Amino acid sequence: MSAYPTLRNLHLNVGLFLSPFIVIFSVSVFFLVHSWIPGAKQAPATRIVTDVVFPENVESAKGHEQIAALRSVLDRLNVRGEIGFVRYIPRDRRFVLPVTQPGRQTAVELNVGARTASIATNATGIADAMVYLHKMPGPHNVAIRGNTFHVQVWRWLADATVYLLLFVSVSGIYLWAVLKADRRVGLSLLAAGALSFGGLIYALIA
Amino acid sequence: MPSSPEVTPLTPTRRFAKWNARTHYYLGLYFLFFIWLFAITGLLLNHGMWGMADFQRSRTTSKSEHRVILSRSGTPLTEARDLMRQLEIEGEIQWLGTTSNAGRFDFRVARPGIQTEVRVDLNTATATVERTQQNTLGIARALHLFTGVRMNDPKNNRDWLVTTLWALSMDAVAAGLLVMVASGIWIWLQTDHKRGFGLIALGAGIVCCAWFVVGVSLFGN
Repeated sequence: MSAYPTLRNLHLNVGLFLSPFIVIFSVSVFFLVHSWIPGAKQAPATRIVTDVVFPENVESAKGHEQIAALRSVLDRLNVRGEIGFVRYIPRDRRFVLPVTQPGRQTAVELNVGARTASIATNATGIADAMVYLHKMPGPHNVAIRGNTFHVQVWRWLADATVYLLLFVSVSGIYLWAVLKADRRVGLSLLAAGALSFGGLIYALIA
Repeated sequence: MPSSPEVTPLTPTRRFAKWNARTHYYLGLYFLFFIWLFAITGLLLNHGMWGMADFQRSRTTSKSEHRVILSRSGTPLTEARDLMRQLEIEGEIQWLGTTSNAGRFDFRVARPGIQTEVRVDLNTATATVERTQQNTLGIARALHLFTGVRMNDPKNNRDWLVTTLWALSMDAVAAGLLVMVASGIWIWLQTDHKRGFGLIALGAGIVCCAWFVVGVSLFGN
């Protein structure tokens, strides 16, 4: 029983720190499951920039080196955010890249030959920001993912959310198990949850 | 005659506090396995390279050809379902795009761990079935993402009952977690002597999340 007060305090305070993260991950589930994001469909604001200066290696560089070269161009164009992927069309000497931040998407088209840039920025709102954070860093384009500071930090926080959630759930089980009066109902619910979970997984994969 | 002990009735606030605490841990117990699944698979998805070599190596593909009876009377969905019944395939139908070839009828059937491409030659009534199977890691990753719908893809709706149930369970877990957050905050508010640390913890979480949800696009990189 000596661990009980310490564990209860830890459970409470870690849970409180986690609460806003859980709100982000849970609210965004509704948008993802029903493929609907309120306020995300606004007309983009487009601007064309001429006389854009490109680094010499922008067309020949690969991977991180290419991202660094493109980042220097984006910085001069005042375009901020994570580069999602890079599509290079050699025949036209053109780059197409989406640049994203939570709540903002920018479609950038760079024409190296003509030294122009077309930048279409779309403010997508808080709901889309939560969906973006739910999916980041994600399994795609691993080689270039985390090319901005905010995604590097969020990657760490998203991992921390999982580890802390596991801690909170295990400590919660201990705290419940100590309460002898509520064991029967708790065990029934645990069993019901396990049955629903197992039944659904079986139906999905068997 | 011994007198019976006096029972003080609970005030509405105390009764609410008692049921609030129960709701908190009852929900946690019911959704425990769902929460663990989504938490761990979320971690796997964020670390795309973990187990990726095994995941790719363990993928097995088999191909077979079957004669089928074409009904060609209903909608593409009913026709696909009829073909799936004949081919003994179960899962969520995914329409991949419009084919320009009128002599073909192609679709994919997905379920966590198994993806089946069905290509039907309408002239010869022959179905080519290509089945790709994944290992446990692939199944776990797919469970996290399996909703039957995709953003900005109106062609695909949920058409398998099990997908609908799984999507509903995702909603239920999310709603359950939100209730647990609210009930947890209420429990903390009732605990007078621990408000200081709690306020710092909750405040730190709120500041972090607010920075990412609204701050990055306003001031960040």
